[in-house]
Amino acid sequence: MDPVTLAVVRGALEQIGDEMDLHLIRAAMSPIISETNDCAHGLFHPETGETIAQGGYGLPLFLANMQFTIQALLPRIEAAGGFRPGDIWITNDPYLSGTHLNDVVLVSPHYVDGKLFALFANTGHWMDMGGSAPGGWVPTAQEIHQEGIVIPPMRLYEDGRRNEGIVGMITANVRMPQQLLGDLAAMTNVFAVGRRGLDDLVARYGADVLKDCISEMMRRSEEEMRSYIGDIPDGAYRIVDGFDNDGVVDSPLDVRLSVVVKGTDLHFDFTGTDGPAIGPMNISANTTKSMCFVALKHIFPDVPVNGGAFRPMHFTIPVGSILAAQYPVAVGGTTDVTQRVVDVVFGALSQAIPAKTPAAPFGTTGVSTVAGVHPETGKYYVAVYPYPGGYGATSVSDGLVNGTPPGSMAKFMSVELSEHRFPLTFDYYAIRERSAGPGQNAGGCGSAYGIEVSSKSLVSVLGDRVDRAPFGIQGGGSAAPNSVAFRTGGRDWVPPMRSKAEKVAFAPGDRFDLGSPGGGGFGDPLDRDVSQVEADLNDGLIDLETAKTVYGAVVAQTRHILDRPVYTLDAERTRMTRGALRLEQKAM
Amino acid sequence: MTGVAGIDVGGTFTDLFFSKDGITVDRVLKVPSTPDDPSRGLINALETAEISPDALDVILHGTTIATNAVIERRGATAALITTKGFRDILELGRRDRQQMYGMTGVQQPLIPRRMRWEIDERLDFRGNVVRPLDVEGLTALGRALSGEGVETVVISFLHSYANATHEEQARDILKAVNADWEVVISSEVVREYYEFERTSTSVVQGYLQPLIARYARNLSGRLHEKGFDRQTLVMQSNGGLVPLKQLPPRAANIVRSGPAAGVMAAAQIAGAAGFTHVITGDMGGTSYDVAVVVNGLPRIAETTELDFRIPLRLPMIDVHTIGAGGGSIASLDRSGILQVGPQSAGAVPGPICFGRGGTKPTVTDANAVLGRINADRPIGLSHIERLDIEGARAAMAELGRPLGLSVEDTAEAILTVVNHVMARRTRLMTVEQGHDPRSFALVVFGGAGPLHGAAIMREVGIRTMLLPEHPGVLCALGCAAADLRYDLSRTVETPIRDMSIEVIRGILAEQRESGVAQLKSSGVTLTNIQVLHSANMSYLGQIHTMRVEIEEGWDVDRIIEAFEEHYQQEYGNRLTGIPVSLVGLATSAVGVRAKPSREPDAVSEPFRATPRGSRPVYFGGWVDTAIYDRRTLSPGAFFVGPAIIEQGDTTSVIEPGMRARVDGFGNVLVEVA
Repeated sequence: MDPVTLAVVRGALEQIGDEMDLHLIRAAMSPIISETNDCAHGLFHPETGETIAQGGYGLPLFLANMQFTIQALLPRIEAAGGFRPGDIWITNDPYLSGTHLNDVVLVSPHYVDGKLFALFANTGHWMDMGGSAPGGWVPTAQEIHQEGIVIPPMRLYEDGRRNEGIVGMITANVRMPQQLLGDLAAMTNVFAVGRRGLDDLVARYGADVLKDCISEMMRRSEEEMRSYIGDIPDGAYRIVDGFDNDGVVDSPLDVRLSVVVKGTDLHFDFTGTDGPAIGPMNISANTTKSMCFVALKHIFPDVPVNGGAFRPMHFTIPVGSILAAQYPVAVGGTTDVTQRVVDVVFGALSQAIPAKTPAAPFGTTGVSTVAGVHPETGKYYVAVYPYPGGYGATSVSDGLVNGTPPGSMAKFMSVELSEHRFPLTFDYYAIRERSAGPGQNAGGCGSAYGIEVSSKSLVSVLGDRVDRAPFGIQGGGSAAPNSVAFRTGGRDWVPPMRSKAEKVAFAPGDRFDLGSPGGGGFGDPLDRDVSQVEADLNDGLIDLETAKTVYGAVVAQTRHILDRPVYTLDAERTRMTRGALRLEQKAM
Repeated sequence: MTGVAGIDVGGTFTDLFFSKDGITVDRVLKVPSTPDDPSRGLINALETAEISPDALDVILHGTTIATNAVIERRGATAALITTKGFRDILELGRRDRQQMYGMTGVQQPLIPRRMRWEIDERLDFRGNVVRPLDVEGLTALGRALSGEGVETVVISFLHSYANATHEEQARDILKAVNADWEVVISSEVVREYYEFERTSTSVVQGYLQPLIARYARNLSGRLHEKGFDRQTLVMQSNGGLVPLKQLPPRAANIVRSGPAAGVMAAAQIAGAAGFTHVITGDMGGTSYDVAVVVNGLPRIAETTELDFRIPLRLPMIDVHTIGAGGGSIASLDRSGILQVGPQSAGAVPGPICFGRGGTKPTVTDANAVLGRINADRPIGLSHIERLDIEGARAAMAELGRPLGLSVEDTAEAILTVVNHVMARRTRLMTVEQGHDPRSFALVVFGGAGPLHGAAIMREVGIRTMLLPEHPGVLCALGCAAADLRYDLSRTVETPIRDMSIEVIRGILAEQRESGVAQLKSSGVTLTNIQVLHSANMSYLGQIHTMRVEIEEGWDVDRIIEAFEEHYQQEYGNRLTGIPVSLVGLATSAVGVRAKPSREPDAVSEPFRATPRGSRPVYFGGWVDTAIYDRRTLSPGAFFVGPAIIEQGDTTSVIEPGMRARVDGFGNVLVEVA
């Protein structure tokens, strides 16, 4: 294999995915695609379904998901007579494709000299798929049909012609048919971009050389992945974490993971995980697998994204558990469930490779929403605020504040823009003090905001991590858990499901206050640099009590700027106090 | 006295170009920069060039001083005062992380939390006062901060773009408490919504203001000592100039001064040569900067990230940077595939062949090994007579062994890989804006650009490459081509049908008057003032806005039509039935300077150029390759590749199968034959 051709072809294949991503992001009608890149594009092996290359602009969530989806579709397509030129297949069946009904997958075969050469596929988030609530998010859903329509795998295009019957059937069952038609057209048009790129490559190198490059690339990626795994000490690393409840029944749901490292193979065993949930806190097995890979990619950012890299990974996910949803359970809580998969992978691997693994991030990807009829325009509105939160500390740095979830890149709306658009006021939007997991490196603090509504509205919150806080590693402490508080009609209360509440009626002047979790700490807090403890104190991130008891700090001097204390720590006496605290801890 | 000096103060070198009449290029040189006081390097350049102050009418100048101060956190000690409940806006950003994968990395806000303060006051989004400014509290805070070594106080209140009264009042109070402070208010820096972006931009301004004020003082002082009291103009990130005396309150506007100057020069040179759609590629030691020029105008980005969570919401030429330069290091990744960059050997230790202790093979080493760079004429190096080719070859041999490649093939592989990386980024830059890169011309410059331009052009499918006369000092030249420019903007965020046209015209007129007033007070001789208006619009509910040029006399229907037309062009359809929102209005006031324009020299019948000599250069095999001296290439000359063009500031490669000719401006135009 010519090493230069291999290097160039690898780059060129990735570029095809990138260009497809950018095309759809520009052309999509759905703001969720154009503004949060909720889409993915790739090239796949026609027989094995393995990822050849994928665009780098789509959401991490879809990283490995696309391959598993195609692999689930292949036998079904085979049974229906196989691929034919001019076909485009469609599905949103979440038990096959993973994620939720809003993520629609298209697959299109590509032929070179009349022979099937590769598959192009994309995923895009369509705004509405019918169901009992606009947008498909139904916190109390107990079966898939409340969340929207299911499109089973079928030929949307045959011989280059679109089946208008199928399109009509879909548009008749959704709330925004015009927008959907626009997104559908954009997604099918993108295949032309991919074909042009791939045909150019074929013309340049020939189909045979290209095929060889692809298998060599996958072989090398597998090797590369194995070399990373080989660096992890053999063993079985176990962790139990989970959810407060599913939003319908108030009982905890456990997620159990044992990561077994043996040589250069990695086995993710979720045996013992609870489920299914009665409410929508379920995800398909494909999504679970994909999130395991997302977690690995956060630990080893340089691992390549193609089928070769997935080969050394093996899974046991109990069928029917919350991590391998089966028809007809609801799957709309996917945003939070995926998050916990990342947490447990971090938690398990931190026992093996602590130097590379972060402590748990804030771990709740949920949203708060305020909806109603705008008093000035008379129009319906929905304001959506996705949870921000702290990241876990790592061996090299403190955790970030106000991070976006590991599987996402979506942002938080500007306060000023929010107040322009919706009848509500932010009282504050701030770093949540005293919420970081302590450690030699501290977790990031959570975020806090308070919203007061100025007209009648319905408020919903979907979160988790109230009963089980994000954990620290290597002696680092856990972060503050999630906190949701309502004040309606002059009464303060906490929702019965703690951080899950659906369509709570708000009157003008009612408000809610939300504090997201921080990230877990890394290492013993008594090893934290004294100057950093001093900075944390003076920045108001920790209080004096924590500085003394958790960090062993001794204050030399205190002065004030207005009412704000400014401390100077005594390094020597802090060292002595820490020594004493260590002895005390040993004795306990 | 019509002399013009263009000076670009970079991190490593200060480049100078001098023209005695504003037309001819009479001197070009590079001297080392003096980061401790950049004004010294600038004076050195003038002295080295032996330019007498009376020969100069104007000094035009670009600088990286502002960027470096932000990146290296060397700005002022500053305090931030916000609306109660919002002091963390600066640090929170808008929920993101540094990179898509990897959860490490810290953030260093320009003002730490302990120096961020809150004052009770509140406006609603229309600018109505919900809670009055707590004057007493602010006065007390001002007094308390007076002893804390603060140089700058930045004030950023929610919705101040809609009503600046509270911010202005607060500024007056603080100035009364301590007249030594620089006080920056957000509504004066950027009159637009998005509290994080506006606050961040104001903080950057406040963080830089004392430093830039010192710099401007030092520079005018030194120039005055040398007897130069004429105009000194500084390049801003938007591609327009600002007089030195107006610089301090516009400090945040010069963070991408150098790159902007390069793009301006490239656009101007290409325009004169007849190319309106241009991709500019500036390749130096550590990075490749690419920008797109459509219809002669560089694309402007509305927000640019200076560093993680430090957005700057000011109009800046949209320059995309990737880590590919002469110093980029070649290595094998874990799977044994060759990759180049983004790690760079930088200036020190630098490439192996520079003999400063570099041990890792770089792109420059590959060019040296293949004979593309003349080993006997090291450009910009005074410590060696000859490049260390043997050292570079040994490193190539080692890198190539596991790949089964010879020394030459390894070096060529390095070039192939780095050229593809640059070509891919170049393509994406156009594709993501909906353009077909094949209809663009490529202008390459920077010390390393002309070595790689031919390959980029071939890979992207571009038809023509333009090699300007002095590619190595193009940024310095760019300043001379530029005009004065002031940008003004204001958020409206209202469905346009709900607005009266008088309100829209009123805002545009106010912006025009303010821009024109600044131009008039600049003291610069202008031949013409151009005012350009634009509107940021979207369909109601969309987050992304689209900028559309409008005219002051237009009515609402015409403005909507312009938006929808533009939308259709970009996305292929109109969202008929959805109301259109007017998000903001913006105005650029451009003061056109008197500049003698250069007429092209008469181009004679095409004639074959005469090479200075030849040497073996590797293009898939050693080929005896003609070497041309740039100084002897006159209009009408043509030659075919393979060929090398040598000149004092760079080396250009013309690949086999390409054809080059010299136009009436002295540009070399390269095409695939």
